[in-house]
Amino acid sequence: MLFDEMNKNDQLVIGDKSFSSRLFTGTGKFNDQQTMVAALKASQSELVTMALKRVDMQHRDDDILAPLIKNGMKLLPNTSGARNAKEAVFAAELAREALQTNWVKLEIHPDPKYLLPDPIETLKAAEMLANKGFIVLPYVHADPVLCKHLEAAGCAAVMPLGAPIGSNKGIKTADFLEIIIEQANIPVIVDAGLGSPSHAALAMEMGADAVLVNTAIAVSGNPVAMSEAFAKAVQAGRQAYLAGLGGQSTQAVASSPLTAFLEASL
Amino acid sequence: MKIHVNEQTIELAENTNIEQLLTHLDKPFIGSAVAVNQDIISRSHWANTIINEGDKISLFQAIAGG
Repeated sequence: MLFDEMNKNDQLVIGDKSFSSRLFTGTGKFNDQQTMVAALKASQSELVTMALKRVDMQHRDDDILAPLIKNGMKLLPNTSGARNAKEAVFAAELAREALQTNWVKLEIHPDPKYLLPDPIETLKAAEMLANKGFIVLPYVHADPVLCKHLEAAGCAAVMPLGAPIGSNKGIKTADFLEIIIEQANIPVIVDAGLGSPSHAALAMEMGADAVLVNTAIAVSGNPVAMSEAFAKAVQAGRQAYLAGLGGQSTQAVASSPLTAFLEASL
Repeated sequence: MKIHVNEQTIELAENTNIEQLLTHLDKPFIGSAVAVNQDIISRSHWANTIINEGDKISLFQAIAGG
């Protein structure tokens, strides 16, 4: 079957929504709004993350919502800044009002140095938010046991990290991501740390359902071109996963016949 | 009357509702969330929620983020 044909039926379903693109993107760290919108369009991403902040009374911020909504992107507010479950639930409820969506990327990382997610508070918040009817996508360490707990708590997907947020280090958690992917009955979105298109392709080859990329695109030399590169890599990785990768072996396995025809002709 | 918005004290006319407050502050409706004395007010109730003297309003806004 041609990939185009394969691809048409290859929708990712999360909660009540299906996605054609398996590249999700963040809106942070872009130099300007125009570049951000152009890059997100080039990424073909259908789900983009946003944050919430307390309004600065002295300044009026740019309206970044209008161009995103106009381009048909679904907005996924995060709870960044929340230090515990209680704050995260409050942030999610504010975000629901601000963006009129019950989707939330749950992130609780109290330590600003490594921004690693707090598993205990995240699980608590996930249970509370799922009970309140939110579509919860928690950002977590690549912990297979925690991911099963989050699934049982009613999360719509899990978002394990490849490496610390914004580090661009790639997939440092590969062995554990593989276990998470193998065990999950909900989509697995590899989030954080993906620094290059090859990292994204690798995640998709491993069977991740999607990846979320922000920093690697936003701080690159050309965010629009980099978005396109990530889109291609995610597609290639997905296609490779669906096609089924060949197995690995320690010994060489010849690709050409080893009959000694040269010797025979001497 | 005096009210507090994000820790800043401002003067506001009596019987002002939340929609009118946002307009007064030149803040957009879309992308904004409002809590009055820590209670989040859903957007459908902005027009009929009257602000009282001394209320502590928290105003939040969607911004770029990962």
